[in-house]
Amino acid sequence: MSLIGTDVTMVGGIAKVTGAINYAPDLVLPRMLHAKALRSPYPHAKLLRVDASKAEKYPGVVAVVTRDDLTGLNPYFGPVVDDQPVVATDRVRHVGEVVALLAAESREIAEEALDLIQVEYEELPAVFDLLEAAKPDAPVLHAQRNETNAGVHREEFNFELGGNVCSVFRVEDGNIEKGFQEADEIFDNTYTLPPVQHGHIEPHAATAYWEPSGKLVVHSASQNPSGVQEQLAQIFKLPENQVRVIVPPLGGGYGGKTHARLEPALALLARKARRPVQWVLTRDEVFLTGRRYGAVVKIKTGVKRDGTIIAREVQVFYEIGAYALNGPVNAKTGCYVSSGPYNIPNRSLSTYSVYTNLPPTGPFRGVGVSHVCWAYESEMDDIARRLGLDPLALRLRHLVKEGDVFVTGEKLVSVGITDCLQRAAAAIGWKGKEEQSAPPAGKDVVRGKGLAVTIKSTTTPTTSSAQVRLNADGSAILLTSSVDMGQGALTSLAQIVGDELGLPFEKVSVSFPDTDITPYDKSSSSSRTTFHMGQAAQKAAGEIRNQLLEVGAKKLEARIEDLELRDGAVSVRGVPDRRLSITDIFKARFGSSVGSMFGGYCFKTEGGLNARTGKGKAAAFWFFSACAAEVEVDRETGKTRVLRIVTAVDAGKAIHPKQCGLQNEGSMLSGMGSALFEEMVYDNGQPINSSFLEYMLPSMEDHPAEFHSILVETPHPKGPHGAKGVGEAALPPVAPAIGNAIANALGGIRCRDLPIKPDKIVAMLDALKESR
Amino acid sequence: MLTISTTINGSPQDLTVRPNQTLLECLRDDLSLKGSVEGCGVGVCGSCTVLVDGRPVSSCLMLATNAAGKAVTTIEGLSQSGELDPVQKAFLKHQAFQCGYCTPGMIMAVKGLLANHPHPTEAQTRDYLSGNLCRCGTYAEVMAAVKELAEE
Amino acid sequence: MRRFDLVEPTTLEEACSVIVDNGDAKVIAGGTALLTLIKHGIFVPKTLVNLKKIKAASEISFEPQAGLRIGALAAIYDIEASPLVRQHYPVLAEACHVVANIRIRNMATLGGNVAHGDYQSDPPTVLVALDAAVELLSRAGTRQIKLTDFLKGSYETALEPGELISALIVPPAGHLRGTYSKFTTGSSEERPCVGIAALATMDKDICMELRLVIGAVSPKPMRFKSGESMARGERLTAELIERIALAAGQSVDPIDDLRGTADYKRHLVHVLVRRALSAAAQH
Repeated sequence: MSLIGTDVTMVGGIAKVTGAINYAPDLVLPRMLHAKALRSPYPHAKLLRVDASKAEKYPGVVAVVTRDDLTGLNPYFGPVVDDQPVVATDRVRHVGEVVALLAAESREIAEEALDLIQVEYEELPAVFDLLEAAKPDAPVLHAQRNETNAGVHREEFNFELGGNVCSVFRVEDGNIEKGFQEADEIFDNTYTLPPVQHGHIEPHAATAYWEPSGKLVVHSASQNPSGVQEQLAQIFKLPENQVRVIVPPLGGGYGGKTHARLEPALALLARKARRPVQWVLTRDEVFLTGRRYGAVVKIKTGVKRDGTIIAREVQVFYEIGAYALNGPVNAKTGCYVSSGPYNIPNRSLSTYSVYTNLPPTGPFRGVGVSHVCWAYESEMDDIARRLGLDPLALRLRHLVKEGDVFVTGEKLVSVGITDCLQRAAAAIGWKGKEEQSAPPAGKDVVRGKGLAVTIKSTTTPTTSSAQVRLNADGSAILLTSSVDMGQGALTSLAQIVGDELGLPFEKVSVSFPDTDITPYDKSSSSSRTTFHMGQAAQKAAGEIRNQLLEVGAKKLEARIEDLELRDGAVSVRGVPDRRLSITDIFKARFGSSVGSMFGGYCFKTEGGLNARTGKGKAAAFWFFSACAAEVEVDRETGKTRVLRIVTAVDAGKAIHPKQCGLQNEGSMLSGMGSALFEEMVYDNGQPINSSFLEYMLPSMEDHPAEFHSILVETPHPKGPHGAKGVGEAALPPVAPAIGNAIANALGGIRCRDLPIKPDKIVAMLDALKESR
Repeated sequence: MLTISTTINGSPQDLTVRPNQTLLECLRDDLSLKGSVEGCGVGVCGSCTVLVDGRPVSSCLMLATNAAGKAVTTIEGLSQSGELDPVQKAFLKHQAFQCGYCTPGMIMAVKGLLANHPHPTEAQTRDYLSGNLCRCGTYAEVMAAVKELAEE
Repeated sequence: MRRFDLVEPTTLEEACSVIVDNGDAKVIAGGTALLTLIKHGIFVPKTLVNLKKIKAASEISFEPQAGLRIGALAAIYDIEASPLVRQHYPVLAEACHVVANIRIRNMATLGGNVAHGDYQSDPPTVLVALDAAVELLSRAGTRQIKLTDFLKGSYETALEPGELISALIVPPAGHLRGTYSKFTTGSSEERPCVGIAALATMDKDICMELRLVIGAVSPKPMRFKSGESMARGERLTAELIERIALAAGQSVDPIDDLRGTADYKRHLVHVLVRRALSAAAQH
C-alpha cells in the first residue's frame, strides 16, 4: 500500500501524549540563567537615560544589556526593513518595547532586579488610529529608514510614500473608471478588522549561549530557523556557520513565531553573561510581542443589472504596529487577491502597510487575506441580495477557472475552487435564493446560512533544501529545517521519503531543525512546506533511489526500468524473488554492511512581481477554499451560536488526509473566534485585555455541533504527488461565511466590523427599528 | 523555605519549597517533570492541569506548599509501567492533538472527567473540558476519544 | 512571581492572631484570584497567611431551622457537588457550577470568592438572593453580617482588620425556587456580562415572594427590591413581568467594557429578567 494518502501515526505522537516532548521552555542547560525584560510603559518616548548599574550589582544578577551594549554590532534588524533595534536605542515606539534585558540566577531575582534599572523617558506624541497614522501630519515613527534586505526581495516593495506609510502595493486590470461608468449599480463599503492574537499556547521562548570559540548557539521556538540564523549572523557580523539555531517542536505557531523576536537581544545578553540564558515570555508579554494586523478595507464594486461584476476598486490599510516586520509582505499578499477569486475585467487594487505606536505585528495564518476576504465575501452577499440573485450562483458565475489569467497576469493552475464551493454549499443543504428570504416574524431566535470562498498565494520565489541519508540497515533519516508546530509536516515529509525509497513508514525518521546539520529552508510558513520541502525531500530521496537502482540493476542483471523499490528492497517487478535488500546493496556498493548513502536537493520556485506594475508570477501554487456556516441568532440578546461550519479545501493531493483535516479545523476555530469575539483592545496604546482572563480563545463549549472539512484534490502538476498546501486555506472564509449567515438570519442587516459581538447586533436591530 | 511531605506520581517525597513557589514550578524546576507546561499563568488555558487527590487543578495557581499530604498525578504518572494509559491510547488513535502543547493538560482533565463521569455524555464532556484550551482546534478529536472511552 | 513569606496556621483562630500581630499580612485561601494579582504585580504582599491547611473550615452542613453553613474554605466545586446544596439550594449549585472551569472550582473557595469582592462573579448574586450572611471571626469572637452589606463595592468589603471570613450562612430557602442565568457575550469561558438570580415562592399562580438580584452590572450584586414588591401577591402575567423587566433594565447603571456597551447591558438586563421571571412563573 502506498504511504501517500494514508493516515499513518503522527511523527512524535507518543511523545506528545506522554508529555515527553521537550518544548523550548523545557530546555535546561548547566549554569543556565533566566532573562527578564524591562519594557517601556509609554507608547512613544525619547529615551533620555538608561542606567542599569544598580541592577547589575543586585545579588544573583549576572548581566544586563541596554543600548550601551550595541557597540560593534549591526543594531537594527527585520525581515524586510531593518527598523527594529536589538534593544531600544534613542526612543521607544510602543508599550512593551524592550529597553533592557537582564540575566539572573532565577526568574524571581531577575524580576526583582528590574526595579533597579533607571530609565528616564520624554514622552512624544503618539498615533494609534490606522487612518490617522497614514495622514501626512501624523507623528512619524521612523524618520530614517534602514532598508537593507534579509531574504525577501526588496524590489517587490514600494517604500515611496514616506511618513508612516511603510509600503504600498498596487495592481490594476482594464480601465476602472470606464468599468464604473458602465455599471448599473455601485456598491461602496468599508470593513474593519481589529488586531487578534495568534494564541499559540506555548509562549515565545529561546535559550542562547556562546561557545568559547565564539560560535553562537540558540535554541528557539521559531518557525524560521534559517531566517533567525541569517538575522543573528548579520547583527553579530558572523559567518552563518558560526550561528547555530536549533528548533524543538513548537507548541503552536500559526505565524506568530515566523520572525526573529527574542533571539537578538537574548544572544547579546548571553554574550555578556558568558553563560547560557533562557528567556520565556509570560502571556502578557506575548500580547506585546506579536499579533495579527488590524485593517480598514474600502471596497467599491460596479455591477450590471444582470449581476455581472464589471469593476472593483479596493484600498486596504493594514495597521502594522511600530516595526515593519512582515508588514510589506502582508500588504503585497493581500493586494492581488483583494478583489477575490473572481474574474472582473476592470479593477484597481492598492494596499498600504502603516506604522502606528502599537505593539508589533507579524504574519498570521491567512496572511493579509483574511482581511480582504472579510470585505469581498460580505460584498458578494450584499450584491446578490440587492439584485435578487442566489449568492452561490453569483459566486459560481464569476469564480476563476483552470487556465484563467489572474490580475497579476499569470495563468492559474490547479484551480479547484468551484468544486470547493459547491461541495461546501451542498454540505449544509444550501437552498439557493431562499436563503436570503426574510426571517420569520415574532421569533426571537432565527437561523441563517452563509457562504464564502478564498484564494491565497504562497510566498514566491522561495527556496527549500533537504538531505536524506540511508543507512545500511534500510532505515533513513530526512534532514530538514522544516519545523514541527503541530501541522504534521514531519509526518508528511517522512511519507514522501518512504514512498520514494520504498521503505515502510517506521523506517523513516525526520530530524529537528539544527542549522549545523539541516540545510536551508525559507521557513515553515505560507502553507509552503508540503509543496516546497516535499519536493526537496522527494528529490533528495530520489538521488538515493537512483543509486539503489543502479547497483540493483547491475547485481540483478536487469534493466533499471524493470526494477522497483518496495518493502526495503530492490526487486524485479513481477518477480519478487529476484530481490536485493538494502543491506545487500550496501555490500555490493561498498563491500560492507555499514555506511551511508546520501541524497540532497535544493528546490527553488520561480516568480515574483514587478513592484511598479504588480504583474508577474505571485505564486508557485495558489490555494483555494470555501466555507459554509449556519448560525442561530438571538435577536433579543444579539448572541450568535454557530451551529455548523464546513470548509472545503483544495489540497491538490492530501498526503495525510487526517492531518489536513486537523489543520483545517484549527483554521476554522480560530476564524470563528475572530468572527465572533476575539479582539485586542488598546487604550492610548496600552493593551487592556492582554491576558487569557480577558482575551478568550474558543473553547470546547463554543465548538459547533457540526464541524468538519472536505478535501478537494485538484492535483498540481509540480507538487509532490500533486500536493499543494492547506495550513492557512480554511481560515479566511470563516469570518465572512459566519457574517453572511448572520446577515441572512437577520434579513440582510450586516455588521461590517469584526468581531460581530452581541451588542453590535442589538444596536443594528435597534437602529433599524428607529429608522422605521 | 518550607518542607512538605507529598506524593508525586505514586512515590512519597519530602520536598523543600519556597513560599511563593507554585506547584507547576516545583514539578518543572525541582522535579524535572516537564510534561505540565505553562500557557497563560492564570488558570484559564489548562495546559498545566494536574490531578491533586484525583481532582484536576491549575498547577500554575496552586502554591507548592499546598501539595502537603496530597497525592499529585502528572502526565508522567500515567504510563510509568511503560504501557500507555487508555486515555493516551485513545488520543493517539483519534489523533486528538496537533502541536501537543495542551495535550498533557487535556489528558489529565479527561482523567478527571472519567473519574467523575465514567460514561460522560457529549454535553458533560464539553462542560468539563471547556476550560482546557486548544488553539490547534482539535476539540472534535478529543471528544471522539472521550466518546470511545465512555463506551468502554 | 515576587517573593513573599508564608505563615501556615492550623486553625482559623490561630490565623486571626497572625493577622492581628502582623498588620501587613494578607490572607490567601484558594489563591486563584490573589496569585493572579501578585503575578501581574498589582498586589505585592510581604506576608501571606495560608488558610489552605486548615481542615475544619471547609465543612458544609445543613439544619432545617438554621439553614446551610458553608465553611469559608469549602471549594466552589464541593458546594456545587454537595448533596445538601443540591437538595435544598439547587440554584446555588447552579451558580457555583458556572464559575470559571473545573480546575478553578476545585481550588477556589467560597470565602475567598466573597472576600475578593469581584462584581463579575456568579455565586454572590445567588447568595444575595438567598439572603446569605457572612460569618466573621476575630479575636473578639464572631459576628454575622448580611452578604449584601458585606459587599461594599467593586473589590471592597466590610472586612475589618483582624477579621477573617469563617463561613457563609444561608437561611432556609423555604419554597423559593428559581434560576441563575449567566450571560456571556464572547466565549463560554468568560466571566458574566450579566448574571440574574430570580427566585420566587409561588402559590399556584400567585407570586408570594420574589427575590430578584442583578449581578455583574454594578459594583456589587443589586437586589431589585421595587421589582420584587411589584410582584408580591400578584399573578405573574406576561404584562407584569415585562413591567418589572423594563424597570430592572432602567434601574441599572453599568459601564462600557469589553463585554458590551452600557446601553446594551441595560437592554440585556431587561431581556434576561423577563426570561428569568417567565421561567420562575412556570415553576
